Amino acid sequence: MAEVDDRIELDWDALEVGETFDKFEYLLTQEMIDTYRKGVMDSEASFPTIAHKVDVRQYNAKYTDAGSVNARCAFHCYNPPVAGKRLTVTAWIADKYLRRGKNYIVTEAVSVDEDGRLIDRVITHELKQPSEVGKKWGG
Amino acid sequence: MGRVIRNYEEGDEITPLVKELTQDAINLFEGSAGNTGPSQFTDEHAAKEVLGTEGTVASGRMSLTFAIETLRRYFGPDVFNHTGVVDLRFLRPIRPGDTITFTGKVTGMTKEANGSRIVVAIEVNNQRGDTTGVGQGSAIVPNAYLPSED
Repeated sequence: MAEVDDRIELDWDALEVGETFDKFEYLLTQEMIDTYRKGVMDSEASFPTIAHKVDVRQYNAKYTDAGSVNARCAFHCYNPPVAGKRLTVTAWIADKYLRRGKNYIVTEAVSVDEDGRLIDRVITHELKQPSEVGKKWGG
Repeated sequence: MGRVIRNYEEGDEITPLVKELTQDAINLFEGSAGNTGPSQFTDEHAAKEVLGTEGTVASGRMSLTFAIETLRRYFGPDVFNHTGVVDLRFLRPIRPGDTITFTGKVTGMTKEANGSRIVVAIEVNNQRGDTTGVGQGSAIVPNAYLPSED
């Protein structure tokens, strides 16, 4: 049986700054860390959480839209996460803005591990008209 | 790594970091959280549909990761992994086959309660000389890692 997509179609005008999403929990495994380190070609890379895109995961679980392009991203390092620990992510809509006729959404998220250690904070500005990339930069 | 005491000066250039992007590297990055479905990063058809590009692109988060590596190598992991910040704007897509170089220069230092915040301007360029990203990063270097003011 096909899964029903019950996500809400994004209404950018109606989206409220400050909307906080349900917390997201996951187990960080050594395999995740190793795969991430191979991908970034850095055996000491300490924040695999960057690749997990957990800051926008709950947004994407709630809303459907035309996709997005990452326009800007800020990352704050507090403590490298440890394999085998469960991480809890709290994410919210931190801002939205219109620039040159294009819509942007800013999400912010904080990750904490099961021992209460603060791991990182990520702030992501997403352009909500991803086809602009192809228009501007072509094939 | 032991504690390294060093001085920081405005205008100091940091050691550049060079990365060669491959589709395999992008796939590993995207798959590291268990996401194996097609996306604009891993699948040409999805890239065409979502972005309107002829091929895949690398996530901006890969550039962010490399900028973090650049500054971690500069400040040392014991400092950067606990106080580091990188804020990067993505100006052009990076594609498989691109070679990107991260450079940086110290632009400011401010006293904080627990040390000095050293600010670094970051620029990312591809093999054609195009700037693909700009931003800044910083870390708070504890006083114990700085030369004595006496």
